[in-house]
Amino acid sequence: MHEPLDKTEPATRARIAAAFNGGIPHNQAIGLEVVDVSGDWVHTRLAYREAFLGDPVARLWHTSVGTTAADSSCGLAVFLALPTLEAIATLDLRMDYLRPAVAGKPLQVRASCHHITRYVAFVRAMLYQNDIDRPTAHCTAVFMRTGRQMLP
Amino acid sequence: MSATLEDIHAAVAAGDYARLVAAIPYAEFLGLRVEIDAADARASERIYVMAYRDELVGNAQLPALHGGTVAGLLEMAMQLEVLIAESEQRLPYPVDFTIDYWRSAGPADCRVACRLIRSGRHIAQVQAECWQADRERPIAFARADFLLRSPD
Repeated sequence: MHEPLDKTEPATRARIAAAFNGGIPHNQAIGLEVVDVSGDWVHTRLAYREAFLGDPVARLWHTSVGTTAADSSCGLAVFLALPTLEAIATLDLRMDYLRPAVAGKPLQVRASCHHITRYVAFVRAMLYQNDIDRPTAHCTAVFMRTGRQMLP
Repeated sequence: MSATLEDIHAAVAAGDYARLVAAIPYAEFLGLRVEIDAADARASERIYVMAYRDELVGNAQLPALHGGTVAGLLEMAMQLEVLIAESEQRLPYPVDFTIDYWRSAGPADCRVACRLIRSGRHIAQVQAECWQADRERPIAFARADFLLRSPD
């Protein structure tokens, strides 16, 4: 028998987050790390790589690397906020690119699922480099609840 | 060795899209290539292709591509489309980006065509659609605004 999941318990959240992130090949390919999920938001980090450059002249991260990190982090925030291990899918996602992310520094994401209905979940995220008060992007997304359970 | 402004400029002027992609590390990371279907009635239409590889997978069970990679292809395609169509001196910088996911992206190549809606003095507005085997069954739609930047 599976014990009931307490998704407010930090150790349980960390375990679910590690399995979720580890099971996504592209997150592994880009090196997305889960930093902290003990609160009611998700904190992830992406170390800088030359392959992430979008503007080789100005030496800036390509903005859509942040979009991928945001999509994954928002998905994890939804997955942790739902009562069970329910499969989800991104319905739509918007990025506002507030300022460029510069080469050499990591990109960090804080995502929180702020509202859940029977069929959808609403998420927002901030992206930043070293200073959370200087965000590089803001993301809003809606995820669809599929009703299907993920394998434990 | 990092690409220079001249490299990008020369590649666009020569219509050498392989060289253009090679100058942008993240475009190369996505495995992007640009095709022009001469047999197509939409004569000079550029099709932006992301070749399938296992690293792009988001859900290994389905399997499905990571939504972030599809978003990356769409945004990169729109950015290059503005650069090429408007003969910009520098890479247009995205202001915002929105994606609607219409169907799950299977383990196959993705193709994108763009529509440059408006290009003003400072802002270009673009839409794009992504499909896999069948253009009549698109898997995602995106729109974005780009800042046009004159050379410093």
